[in-house]
Amino acid sequence: MNAPILLHMRGVSKAFGSTQALDDVSFELRQREIHGLLGGNGAGKTTLMNILFGLYRADAGEIFLNDQPVHITGPKDAITHRINMVHQHFLQVGSFTVLENILIGAPRKNRWNNRYDAEVQKIQSLQERFGLQVPLDALIEDLPMGMRQKVEILKALYRGVQVLILDEPTTNLTPQEVDALFQSLRVMVQEGLSVVFITHKLREVMSVCDRITVLRNGKNVLTLDRQEASEDAFVRAMVGEGMDLSRSVIFAHAGQDLPAPAPVPLLRVEGIVTAPAEGSVALKGISFDVREGEIFGIAGVAGNGQRELAEVVMGLLPVQSGQVFLRDQTLPHPDSRRVLKGDFAYIPEDRLHDGFLPRASVAHNLILGLHRRPPYSNGRVIDWSTVFSRARELIGQYNIKTSGPEDMGGNLSGGNIQRVMVARAFSATAPVLVAHNPTRGLDIPSMDLVYQKMLERKRQGQATLLISEDLDELMLMCDRIGVLYKGELLGIVERGQFEKYTIGQMMSGIRPQA
Amino acid sequence: MNEFWLTIISYAKLILLTIVPFVLAGQGTMLGGRTGIFNVAQEGIMLVGASVGFLVSYLTRSNELGMLAAMLSGGLFGLALAYFTTNLRMDQFVIGLALFFIGIGLSTLLPKIVIGVTLTPPLIPTLKEISIPVLSQIPVIGEIFFKQNALVYFSILLSVGLWWYLYRTQVGMELRAVGENPQAADSLGVNVTRSRYWTAIVGGMLIGLAGAYLPMVYTGTFTENMVKGRGWLAIALTFFGGWKPDTILYGALFFALIEVLAYRVQVLGTAIPYQFLLMLPYLATILVMVFSFRKARVPAFLGQNYDREKRAL
Repeated sequence: MNAPILLHMRGVSKAFGSTQALDDVSFELRQREIHGLLGGNGAGKTTLMNILFGLYRADAGEIFLNDQPVHITGPKDAITHRINMVHQHFLQVGSFTVLENILIGAPRKNRWNNRYDAEVQKIQSLQERFGLQVPLDALIEDLPMGMRQKVEILKALYRGVQVLILDEPTTNLTPQEVDALFQSLRVMVQEGLSVVFITHKLREVMSVCDRITVLRNGKNVLTLDRQEASEDAFVRAMVGEGMDLSRSVIFAHAGQDLPAPAPVPLLRVEGIVTAPAEGSVALKGISFDVREGEIFGIAGVAGNGQRELAEVVMGLLPVQSGQVFLRDQTLPHPDSRRVLKGDFAYIPEDRLHDGFLPRASVAHNLILGLHRRPPYSNGRVIDWSTVFSRARELIGQYNIKTSGPEDMGGNLSGGNIQRVMVARAFSATAPVLVAHNPTRGLDIPSMDLVYQKMLERKRQGQATLLISEDLDELMLMCDRIGVLYKGELLGIVERGQFEKYTIGQMMSGIRPQA
Repeated sequence: MNEFWLTIISYAKLILLTIVPFVLAGQGTMLGGRTGIFNVAQEGIMLVGASVGFLVSYLTRSNELGMLAAMLSGGLFGLALAYFTTNLRMDQFVIGLALFFIGIGLSTLLPKIVIGVTLTPPLIPTLKEISIPVLSQIPVIGEIFFKQNALVYFSILLSVGLWWYLYRTQVGMELRAVGENPQAADSLGVNVTRSRYWTAIVGGMLIGLAGAYLPMVYTGTFTENMVKGRGWLAIALTFFGGWKPDTILYGALFFALIEVLAYRVQVLGTAIPYQFLLMLPYLATILVMVFSFRKARVPAFLGQNYDREKRAL
C-alpha cells in the first residue's frame, strides 16, 4: 500500500517582491501515485511546482529525489532528473509542427540534420501505449486545445519521465476529454510513473488522485489519502476557517432554490453574423434571449466565438447582420458606449487588455465607465470624495488587497485586478451584465462572493450573460446554457436537463438529437 | 560579343559586387532577430567596422587583419547589445539607438587619433578579384559569378549556410524556437541566454564586416559617414526578406540593383533624380509588408526580453 517515497520537497519558501508566495512548504510524492495538489487561486500550487521544474528559484528549501539531495537550477536539470511539467498555458511554438515541438531540446546523436525517422517511431509507439493520438506534421496553431495538451504530455513522455506534473490540465477540455486524460494518467501510473495533479477543482482530485495535499495562502494545510478523508475535510482545508460555508453558494449542497426568471426577455440577440478575420471566430447566426432575473450561460471550449459574442453584445464588434435588443428596443450597432449609458456592465475575458488601466489608481479603475453618472458625477464634474469613499467600501467588500484607493492599478496582482473588474461590474447595477470568465484567478471565498452577487442580480430581475469555460460553474449558476461551437450556437439546455456529458458532446461539435 | 552585352555583363557583375554589405548586414540582423534581439544599430556598427577595418589595414597593410578587426569591433557591439537586453533587460530600441550614436562618434574619432588630419587621403589596398579555376572560363556566367572578390563568395555561401542551419538542422530549429517562444524553448532545456548572446555577437560581427567592405572595395579610404544609410536599409531588407536567409539574399540583389542604377543615373544625369531611386528600397519594403502581410513572418518574440521568473498577470 505505502509505496516508497520518490520525491520530497522540504521547507520551500519563495517571495515575489513583497508577496510571500510560499512559506515553508513541504511536499511528498510516492512512487506510482497520482498526487493531487489542491488549493484556490493564489495558494501557491503552481509556484511550488515551478520550483521543482526549475523555472523559479526557491529562496529556501531542499529537494530530495530517492533520498538524494538534488539541485535544480533550470528546466534542463529537472529534465535530467526525469521531472517534467505540463503548464496550464501550453509552452508551444505555434508556427512549428507537432513533431518539431516535441523534439525541441531533445538529445540526439546528430543534432546537425533533420532526419527524424527514429524519433517519429519512438513517438508513435508512445502514442499507442498511452492513447495520445495527434497528427505529427500538423501545425500547433491549427490544433484544438485538447490536442495541444496531448502534445504537451507527449513532450514530457518523450524525454522519459518519472515525475509528471500537470498544472490545471482540465481547463480547456470537454468532460469526455477529461475522462480520456484520466485514463491515460492511470496507464502512466501503472507503467511506473508518478503524477502531480494541480487543480482547484475538488471533484477532479476526488475522482482520480490517490493522495491529496492542500495548500492555502502559500502554506501547507494537510496531506491525506483520498480514502481517509471526506470531501468536507478538504473543503474546510481549502477555504480556511474564515468562510461561512452555510451561506456559500458553492458548498451549500442542498439544491439551489433559484427563483424562476420572469418570462420577459430583457436582452435579445437575433441572427448575429460576424465577418471572419485573422485570429477570430466568425459568429454564424446566433439568436437567444436573456430574461429578467435570468442567468444565461454560454458553454464551450475556449476560442469557439465566446469573446466575439461578448463583444457583439457589448457593441464593440461590428456585425454583418443581426441585431441586439434591449427591452425590445433595437440598439444602434456598433456602439462602444453601452457601459457609459448605464444599461450594460462588462467583465471582459482579457482583464489586462480590455478592462484595466495599470497606470491609473485603483479608485479610477473602480469607476471606469461609471464615472459620468451619479453617484460619481453630476454629469459634468466628478465628485472625488464620493469616488474615494465608495472605492474604500468596494475594496473592503470585495477583499481587494491594496494599500488604498490611491494605489497604482499596476501594483495589484492578477487575482486582485479581477476583483476590481468584478467589483466595478456589480456596483454598476446595470440591467444587463456580460460576465466572461468572471471567476478566473479568484480564490474560493471571492468566487463565492461573485456567485452571491449574481444571485442578487437575479432576485432584482436583472439579466446576466455568463460566458464561462468552467462547465461546473455554469451548471451551478445558470437557468439555461447555450453551447457555442465554432461560432454556432448548437443548442440551448434548460436547467432541468443539465447533464455534463450531453453538454460535453455539444462542446465537441456533436449536435443534440432533436 | 557586342557592346550591349558587355555592358549588361559589367552591370550584373557590379550588382553582385554591391550585394555584399546588404547580405552581410541583413543576415547579421536576421540572426539576432531569430532569438528575439532586434538590432537597430547597424548604421553605427557598419561605420565602426569601416573605420576600424580601414585603420588596421592601413597600419598592417593587410586586408585580412582589417576584416578581422572590423568583425571584432562589430562583435563587441553585439555583445553590449546582448548584455544590456538579456541580462539587464533594458529596452532594445533605446540601447540600439545609443549604440548607433556611439558607433558614429567612434568611427570619426578613431582615424583622427590614429592617423590625424592629412592633406591626401590615406589609402589601403582593395580586395583582389579571385578567379575560380575552370568555372571562371564559362562564358558570361564565369565573368559575372566567378571573377569576384572573396567576400562576394563568402556572403553567398553564408546565406546558403544559414538557411541550411536554420531550416535543416535540429540546432537551427531550436534557435528559431527561442525567437518564437523563449519560454517554451527554456522549459525544454534550450539555453536561451546563450543563444541570444552568440547570435547577437555573430550578428554584430557580420554587420561590422559589412562596414569594412566599403573602404576595402569601394573607396580604398575611410570618409566620414561613408555607410550612407546602408545600415538602415539592412533593417528594411530583413523585413523585406521575411527574416529568412534565402529571401534576404534575393532582396539584397534587388537593393543592390537599385543602388547601382541610382549611381548610374547620378553619373549620366538623366531626368530622374537619383534621390528618387535611393528611396525605392524603402518604398518596396513597405509595399512588400503591406501585400504579404499574412505570409511575412516576423519572429514572434522580436524586440522583447525574456525573464524566466516574470509572472503572467
